[in-house]
Amino acid sequence: MPQWGMAVDLDRCTGCGGCVVACHAENNISTVGDEQAAVGRAKHWLRIERYWEGDFPDVRLKFRPVMCQQCDNAPCEPVCPTYASHHTDDGLNAQVYNRCIGTRYCANACPYNARFFDFFNPSWDKPLQLQLNPDVSLREVGVMEKCTFCVQRIRAAGTQAKAEERDVADGEIQPACVQSCGARALVFGDLENPSSEVSRLSRSPRGSKLLEDTGAQPSVTYLSRLTQV
Amino acid sequence: MDRRSFIKLTAVTGTGAALASCGNPENDFIRFIPDEMIVPGVAVWKPGVCSLCPAGCGLTVRVMDADADVVRDGQAGIVRIAAAKKLEGAPDHPVNHGGLCARGQAAIQVTYHPDRITQPLRRTGERGDGLYEAVSWDDALAEIVSRLDALEGAGNQGSLTYLTRVGRSHRAALVRDFLVRFGAPPPVAFEIFGDDVLRRANALSFGREQLPTFDLANAMYVLSFGADFLGTWNSPVAQNVAYGRMRQGRRGVRGAFAQVESRMSQTGASADEWVPVRPGTDGVLALGIAHLLMSTGAYPSDAAGRAGALIEGWAAGLPGYAPEDVERMTGLEAARVEGLARQFSDARPAVAIVGGAPLAHSNGLFTALAVNALNALVGAPGRDGGIFFTPQLDVAAAVQSGSPAQPAVALESLVTEGLAGGASPEVVFVDGANPVFTAPPAWRVREWLEQVPYIVSFGHFLDETSILADLILPDHSSLESWAEALPESGAVMAVASIAPPVMRPLHQTRATPDVLLEVGRMLGTPLALPWETFDELLGASLAGLPSASGSGALADARQAGVWSGELPAGLAVADSADTSPASVPVAFTAPEFDGDADEYPFHFLPYSSNAFLDGSLAHLPWLQEMPDPLTSAMWSSWVEINPVTAERLGISAGDVVEVTSAHGTVRTRVVVSPGIAPDLVAMPAGQGHRTFTRYASGRGENPVELLAPMTDAATGALAWAATRVRVTRVGPPDGRLILFAGSLREHGEEHR
Repeated sequence: MPQWGMAVDLDRCTGCGGCVVACHAENNISTVGDEQAAVGRAKHWLRIERYWEGDFPDVRLKFRPVMCQQCDNAPCEPVCPTYASHHTDDGLNAQVYNRCIGTRYCANACPYNARFFDFFNPSWDKPLQLQLNPDVSLREVGVMEKCTFCVQRIRAAGTQAKAEERDVADGEIQPACVQSCGARALVFGDLENPSSEVSRLSRSPRGSKLLEDTGAQPSVTYLSRLTQV
Repeated sequence: MDRRSFIKLTAVTGTGAALASCGNPENDFIRFIPDEMIVPGVAVWKPGVCSLCPAGCGLTVRVMDADADVVRDGQAGIVRIAAAKKLEGAPDHPVNHGGLCARGQAAIQVTYHPDRITQPLRRTGERGDGLYEAVSWDDALAEIVSRLDALEGAGNQGSLTYLTRVGRSHRAALVRDFLVRFGAPPPVAFEIFGDDVLRRANALSFGREQLPTFDLANAMYVLSFGADFLGTWNSPVAQNVAYGRMRQGRRGVRGAFAQVESRMSQTGASADEWVPVRPGTDGVLALGIAHLLMSTGAYPSDAAGRAGALIEGWAAGLPGYAPEDVERMTGLEAARVEGLARQFSDARPAVAIVGGAPLAHSNGLFTALAVNALNALVGAPGRDGGIFFTPQLDVAAAVQSGSPAQPAVALESLVTEGLAGGASPEVVFVDGANPVFTAPPAWRVREWLEQVPYIVSFGHFLDETSILADLILPDHSSLESWAEALPESGAVMAVASIAPPVMRPLHQTRATPDVLLEVGRMLGTPLALPWETFDELLGASLAGLPSASGSGALADARQAGVWSGELPAGLAVADSADTSPASVPVAFTAPEFDGDADEYPFHFLPYSSNAFLDGSLAHLPWLQEMPDPLTSAMWSSWVEINPVTAERLGISAGDVVEVTSAHGTVRTRVVVSPGIAPDLVAMPAGQGHRTFTRYASGRGENPVELLAPMTDAATGALAWAATRVRVTRVGPPDGRLILFAGSLREHGEEHR
């Protein structure tokens, strides 16, 4: 059974935001508009965080793309009273929208602020609904949603590989963010396969996990940005 | 016959009968006819070309079935169509190599935008009211033809003006040919953040009047002067791909990167060393580095050839640019100048980039020539890890149109002349350009357009310029028509990005190139353009190119969405004729600024927005809601102010302020940013539309409204970074600056 994970090379990431919009396009994430965004209801399964250091003129800025870290020991899972938030065999923190009753306990428990609550039914001004991806279900009011590692792509590739009686090849699955990244800062794959690129990168001495001391055991490894003086 | 074919056949025959009896409710049968063969739930992938900027990135478009409300042959109904669902970068495209930027991802929303103009419109109200009536294509074309015939009857063909944007393509070549044959001047292209200064400098330094391609992937040191090459400038995806390889694509080797600018851009954030200098002095730093390189003897001055000869004092080793001189002029310590020179000299290959604000000063051409000379000194042109010029397909030669190239007129001089009572156009065609929004108010473009008797727009949307149009002939979206671009940069080999329509048009629109061809045929004196349709032109143009598969270059492009390779002799754009060095070598002149330094204490920097560029993409909701990379702002405008300055002025984050220049005032909100010099304030362009769909209208502020009509003295290009402003606090936060990071725990992780 593969264990899906991601490596994010911060030395390659330029903060361009291509992944952010790719995620919206792939996953039918509805835009909420200015008024709702102003009260913190915008949904970005993937965001670029920024860290300013120092003062002018000795100032630095670092970017970090943050999405659901698909933790092995996920704080969001045990708090869910309906098992909407649960762990799959292949290492994903799945969210079953039909089970979710909107307690939002999971969002409170998540150390990464990676979960977003649907305060409304989604709507699209016609004919923008034509952009919707039929492989991804729409989330109705009152449920929690988050990054799935583009599970629809994972399942499609798995089905295809099974039909062809083979294993999924390394690099065959690309979540939308990974696919859009020009600088190749994001790499997705099977952490169980020691020769996969994501495994190789995850073993890098530059690697670390985000907020590791919470004990959540994330599946996303960040490779630090180097400095050269 | 299997079950599926039987159902299809009965549906088709049944509906055929229904259609024959028009006006019958049975016409609802129309919903059963699929537009094309598409299996429900099964995706197919088709090539496309992104048209949101001139970079010409290749797309792979996911197409699936969907139910759309459409009008076909005058009848409304729901039809199962093959609809574009998702845009991805084309994996094997020589420019973007599978990557796609945020803007490209959102390009699909142009096609599905709820405020698209769906059919030809004729103005009924006053200009600017936005009141239009629907007209048929036949009536619309007859109207435009009668206007052009009237011009011809009066022998006044020269008074047709075509406003467009910068970008190389077959479409642009067709427009040019149309105008030449009609007897009109060539199209007038205007970009607020245009690169005319750099093109001109490259023509002088290297004999190529075009933007360069940087081989970042093989560079060991990159020194960028103000170019936002990882965000919005030149060919951003190509440059991101190469940047990733430069940093981590070579085992054990990591290229270094320094950025010279006084407001940290998204690109500057990735630099190892960030180097703020006084506005308009970037060229001095470049020459200071060149001086040190030459003084060590490692680089003889004549290594720079023609590019060096353009700089005064070059042969003598630039005696006036010692580190102390550079410190005095740029404000950068001499020791840091020496450090940059050492890195530029030691880390080979090194390459310098210049673009954006450094060239938007009164001495812009000098700055570009100075950086070019530095590149030439270290041998960057044409070597691995250096700069290249993508060979350009000469469309006029390829299609043997024989239309002589004429020098284009600048928008500013055209407008100035018209408003001064000189020649003013009788008919204006507007194709994608929105100069009422993007040109400084002092140019008075709107006033000039209002006195034009007849304006035609080909745009998809009502914006500040097209709302002045008397007739609107909406174009297809780039997914609904042949999409193509001839990328000016981004690859070492010649590239033609060309892809057939991905889907059928949703609305009653027509492809503008085909409209022009048809108008050309309908004129009293037909223009004799030798193509029936635009794709015939494409076929003619690509016929002479080598084909990898042997079935023809156009057939290859149909499959892959791109042709790339070696251009046959005679089909490449020749080196610029302008090869003679300037008669007088250029020297640094202090930049001039509009506005008295006492009254207007701050330099003002408008910059191309990561989401909206110059504002032409502000109508796309995904981009409106995308948090800005540096501020996390969404749906907003803001002005960036240094914390020390803000404290001195009693301004806090989010406060409402007025930014005032000698030419205008905007009221906006403050982002206190450590990444900006204390004597500089900066605003992203893009917002502040009065008219531009439900998502952008009446939102935020347009920094262009503050700009003085300053120009680069040598080229006449707009010096958009040469305005001074003052900032006055008006009041506390009013909630209109919307930040995504407002409630996120982003501190505490600062030392990764």
